[in-house]
Amino acid sequence: MDTRNKRMIRERVAKSFNTIIMALASLLLLSPMIWMVSTSFKKPKDVFTYPIQWIPLDPVWTNHFKVWMTGDGFALFYFNSLKISLILLIGAPLLAAFAAYGFSRIPFKGRDSIFLLYLCLMMIPPQVLFVPKFIMFDWMRIYNTHWALILPGLFTVFGVFMIRQFFMSIPHEISEAAFIDGAGHFRIFFQLFLPLSKPVLATFAIIDFTWTWNDYENALIFLLDKKLYTVPLGMQNFMLEAGVDYNLMMAAATAGVVPLLIVFFLGQKYIIQGFASSAVKG
Amino acid sequence: MKRQRLVGYVFIAPNLIGMTVFMLVPALFSFYLMFTDWVFASGQPPRFIGLDNFRMMVRDDLFVVSVKNTLLVLIPVPISIMLGFLIAVMLNNRTYFQKTLRAFFFAPYFTSGIAIAFVWMVLFQPTNGPINAFLRSIGISEPPLWFASPDTAMYAVLIMMTAGGIGYNMIIYLAALQELSSEQLEAAKMDGATFGQLLRLIIFPLVSPTTFFLMITGFIGSIKSFGMIYAITQGGPGNSTTVFSIFAYKKAFNFYEMGYASAVSWTMFLIILCITLIQWVGQKKWVHY
Repeated sequence: MDTRNKRMIRERVAKSFNTIIMALASLLLLSPMIWMVSTSFKKPKDVFTYPIQWIPLDPVWTNHFKVWMTGDGFALFYFNSLKISLILLIGAPLLAAFAAYGFSRIPFKGRDSIFLLYLCLMMIPPQVLFVPKFIMFDWMRIYNTHWALILPGLFTVFGVFMIRQFFMSIPHEISEAAFIDGAGHFRIFFQLFLPLSKPVLATFAIIDFTWTWNDYENALIFLLDKKLYTVPLGMQNFMLEAGVDYNLMMAAATAGVVPLLIVFFLGQKYIIQGFASSAVKG
Repeated sequence: MKRQRLVGYVFIAPNLIGMTVFMLVPALFSFYLMFTDWVFASGQPPRFIGLDNFRMMVRDDLFVVSVKNTLLVLIPVPISIMLGFLIAVMLNNRTYFQKTLRAFFFAPYFTSGIAIAFVWMVLFQPTNGPINAFLRSIGISEPPLWFASPDTAMYAVLIMMTAGGIGYNMIIYLAALQELSSEQLEAAKMDGATFGQLLRLIIFPLVSPTTFFLMITGFIGSIKSFGMIYAITQGGPGNSTTVFSIFAYKKAFNFYEMGYASAVSWTMFLIILCITLIQWVGQKKWVHY
């Protein structure tokens, strides 16, 4: 009894010690973001004071006002980013699921070769496609419009792959039963598979949302007019103009990160499971 | 049966059309362009020049620099995998508040992007930035200039990338660890294995498929990385942070040498393919399924 107690105490001490070490490590990794938020509330003279003011002694809101309200302000960039992200948030999972059903549940000639082609396309780095897409979009008259980001974004190999994996795990008996009741593939897809696959659709939608929200390269190459800028591009533009007003820069960076943080803390459970499962099963 | 086939095509058609227009056709187009000397907006049609772009490339100073820098950005991958592994092991039943800590470690990865790149840029500010202020306070009177100097800009990039990768690796390892049976671990503990032995001889071999997955995807991701580096440095100062993707971007969109840029980007694809194949062959030595 006595030795067991001692062992338990020792384990608890070790666990507490580990917790403190890990908490400190996580704070170290989070520190750039903490510094960003705290600096966004500082006056210029307090930005680089040392020791670092993690909580500003003399906090001000003016940086945030300036970032949002100036001529080509963040309000516009946000509107653009939200528009594109929301269209893709609905469209991309739906289109991917539609194809995933065909690839997993309907046997037809050439299906597996087409899927293999998809997997090959997944290996091609986006840099290979930038030049031809730039020229093609110019021909298609969608260069320097939001369509240049939306249309290609609707079609993802990753989404088809991820949702197909999930569809394969749905037992065949379920669709057999529906077939006997006279349902066709379309009804089975819309009334059975889509509701069943809500978790995987949500997971893919969230991952895709963060990619779209952070997408800098496509916006950099395909958008020209400032009034079309998305948040990452707007931020870059803002950095160039802010120069050495680091407190303003950090207010802009905070504005860029906050929606992702909100998404993260609201959907934490799904996001973490989603990222984990997409790797383990994918 | 015939109807069945038709329905199958209907289901994949929307996606297949999109893929063809936005991936397959551009890929083939770019494949053709790499054998031409085409310059966009020059008014000249593309001229077939065989492998001349590649001959030009190997003599290009920027090619040598970008190969070197691309190899350098591979370094953060194993480091952040190691750190992610250690954190995952600790968070797997060895601490309190596991879920909170997990979220703390993962949040920086989830939110990383251009915004965080700019935060790093200010943190590394050479004269008064917090990192150098800290280094001075511990007695380093002449800390590195980081992004401001061609000699040290790449180090700042590597630090930024290492920190950025840890959270993702941790999450993936944690998922893998939670699927392990605890019997083997308990048995080893009973036999008096130390924590170090447990890690090295049992846990690490058991999660080796995960490590393999993270290495491959990590290397590919690193080779493709563009945004965070380009937003801060545009490949500079000088060409000191020009990695392959920035090299391709500059050729295409600063100089409009579309043929040459295509050759550069396909070379990047070849490098990715080679690294993946090498790892695929090498995995037999250390991955246990």
